[in-house]
Amino acid sequence: MTILWFLFKEGFKGLIRSKYSGAFSIIIIAISIMLVGFGYVIARDTLFMVENIRAQFDVDIFIKQTASRDDIAAFDAKLKKMNEIDHLIYISPEEAAKKFKNEFGEDIFDILDYNPLPPSFTISFKPIYRNLISVEAIANILQSDPVVDELKYRKNFLIILEKYQRIILFTVLGIFAVLTLISIILTSNSIKMTIFARQDIISTMKLIGATNRFIKIPFVIEGTLEGGLGSLVAALIIYGMFYLQNTYFQSFLDYTVVVSYRYYVALLILGTFLGWIGSRRAIRKFLH
Amino acid sequence: MISFINANCTFRKNAGVKNLNFSIEDGEFVFLTGPSGAGKSTILRLIYMDLFPEKGKVLIRDFDSTRIRDREIPFLRRKVGMIFQDYQLLKDRNVYQNVALALYASHYKTREIKSRVYNILNQVGLGHRVHHRPTELSGGEQQRVTIARALVKEPIVLLADEPTGNLDPRVSIELINLLNKINKKGTAVIVATHNYSLIQRVPGARLIQINEGEIISIT
Ligand SMILES: Nc1ncnc2c1ncn2[C@@H]1O[C@H](COP(=O)(O)OP(=O)(O)OP(=O)(O)O)[C@@H](O)[C@H]1O
Ligand SMILES: [Mg+2]
Repeated sequence: MTILWFLFKEGFKGLIRSKYSGAFSIIIIAISIMLVGFGYVIARDTLFMVENIRAQFDVDIFIKQTASRDDIAAFDAKLKKMNEIDHLIYISPEEAAKKFKNEFGEDIFDILDYNPLPPSFTISFKPIYRNLISVEAIANILQSDPVVDELKYRKNFLIILEKYQRIILFTVLGIFAVLTLISIILTSNSIKMTIFARQDIISTMKLIGATNRFIKIPFVIEGTLEGGLGSLVAALIIYGMFYLQNTYFQSFLDYTVVVSYRYYVALLILGTFLGWIGSRRAIRKFLH
Repeated sequence: MISFINANCTFRKNAGVKNLNFSIEDGEFVFLTGPSGAGKSTILRLIYMDLFPEKGKVLIRDFDSTRIRDREIPFLRRKVGMIFQDYQLLKDRNVYQNVALALYASHYKTREIKSRVYNILNQVGLGHRVHHRPTELSGGEQQRVTIARALVKEPIVLLADEPTGNLDPRVSIELINLLNKINKKGTAVIVATHNYSLIQRVPGARLIQINEGEIISIT
């Protein structure tokens, strides 16, 4: 008990004794956590936006004019059973004519005396099937159905989207990995400086017969506290920035940041962890 | 208690100590003397196993320099007290805390730590300086703090490397008298110094003279 209490107090006092270098470590950790925190939200919302664009992807299935009502009903039932399909709309020739009028401002019956528009279905896919390979596979199956006349979808839309999504994903992951690495290195180095400034403690401790563990623990406690405090600072700043964005700039940028309390908890845990790992790494160097 | 058996410890260009063969028993007072660079500090560092002989061995009670593992060294250091010319006190804590640190590191209980620290500080004549920082003390007082810190864990031997190096003659004599008093209570003391006037202050002390890394006389 005595020993644990002593080590904890040492770690805590160490934080106060280290003054500038301790404050510097806290700032560095705060910056690191802010980088990662903002990085995460930007990455998440960028990917979310791309996913939204992708959600707009749909396929129009035009039915042969010769198909009977029963044929169409049977086809409708078949589509409903396919679990790749998320959403399904049937458009009868009459509705198609109405849509035509809405879009082109002209009544189809003014041009022709019959309705040439075929019945059709518009289907959208569940998220995991919204990719070129799945879409083409499903399209092939549907195309072979005797009631289907033609399938239309924007293949290029998918190709371009997939290309960009991959680029965006890799860029985002890359930046994120680099940011995380930078924060680990920054943290570890600034903690190393804190320890470097107090090497006398380490040599004195060795001299009086302290075990490596005894020497190490206060520094690790100190680093962990620095991590916790740094991430607390970062979390408060991020909270403030998001608050400003959502209150004053929301309409300006047409963007609202939504994060749950779990996001802040994660930042605190991450910072504390960073301080812990960083100080363990740093102290190891001084214990040869 | 301490035995050097054909111990060699050399740095580059032959500097260092060679063919050391001697023993020191419990409760002895030993002076290590010789000119600067003779190898006095090297011998002390071999005793607290900051250095290891590349040939031969050093035995301290049950600790064998050729067998000891890294993680056993702290346990040796708890049996060997050390004081230096430059004190090596921690400036960011007071006298009490500097001395208590040695006991915390050896896992003593709080209550015991308190009584031991006050007791030892009184013994070295610093009972009235308990809450001072090292920077608020004279050199002689600082050296007595390091003695208290070395003694508080009741070592079998106290090693002093040029303990009076930064002290004036009068304070030096006081210090050597203190070491003598400590030795009378049973702790072996080994003092490395080139201040020959100190040697006469401890009648009956053994004398090991070293030159260029070799023992040239031993009593
Ligand atoms: N770390 C080292 N690297 C290289 N040479 C060293 C090292 N430590 C000591 N030496 C050399 O070993 C020899 C003995 O040094 P040591 O410090 O033991 O002498 P000393 O008797 O304590 O001298 P002084 O009275 O000046 O303290 C010297 O020649 C010194 O230059
Ligand atoms: Mg020396």
